[in-house]
Amino acid sequence: MDKATHLYETTFIVNASLDDGQIDGVIGRVQETITKNGGTVTMLNKWGRKRLAYSIRKKTNGFYVTVEFDAPGNVPAALERVFHLDELILRHLVIKLSKNALKARAKAQAAAAAAAVEAQQVEAAKPVTPREPLFKESDDKN
Amino acid sequence: MMRSGSRGPAGRGPRRPRRDRDQGLRKKRTCRFTEAGTIYIDYKDEKMLQRFVTEQGKVIPRRITGTSARYQRQLVLAIKRARHLALLPFVSDTIR
Repeated sequence: MDKATHLYETTFIVNASLDDGQIDGVIGRVQETITKNGGTVTMLNKWGRKRLAYSIRKKTNGFYVTVEFDAPGNVPAALERVFHLDELILRHLVIKLSKNALKARAKAQAAAAAAAVEAQQVEAAKPVTPREPLFKESDDKN
Repeated sequence: MMRSGSRGPAGRGPRRPRRDRDQGLRKKRTCRFTEAGTIYIDYKDEKMLQRFVTEQGKVIPRRITGTSARYQRQLVLAIKRARHLALLPFVSDTIR
């Protein structure tokens, strides 16, 4: 089945009272469902433990994870099923990245790449004198 | 002429006529997103979203924030997503 793929993004909250190994297990299962159904994971971002704005199933903390993936249309449904069945996942959100989101992403990436190149050039230009690292804001938020 | 904000004590009842709105005498509000050239409002950017929500967790109307219609729509979607993920509260008051 070679179907058109889209970029999706899912953010889910794992029960934070588990230890890191278990959490990684849950994340692994999510990744597995994506790859098994013909998708590829393009980005995985663990935000870590965070306080929830309101309690979910009597929990006040959660471990947030964002996964971005390129996949055919059957994957989100499969993912939803996994999320629903998994008791360790408190909340989930699967969205298809909108055109604007993609544009913003491309722009941010381009800016980051440009910044990296510039940084390299700057570094190459003046090799000596160790300085404090310059913290550059990488363009706007998205 | 110069009313102090659009939400006076007469919040209930019949809709205020349009002329009651601030008419250019007040400082002009600008849309933050238009100014910044934002392309996409991300639901994960909790801190930014918080600015467009009252302490109770309600969405602040665009007549107050000055956000343009286009971005207000995006913003509201982002806020709703953020609420679902417990990044923002649906309601928050009293408790504490």
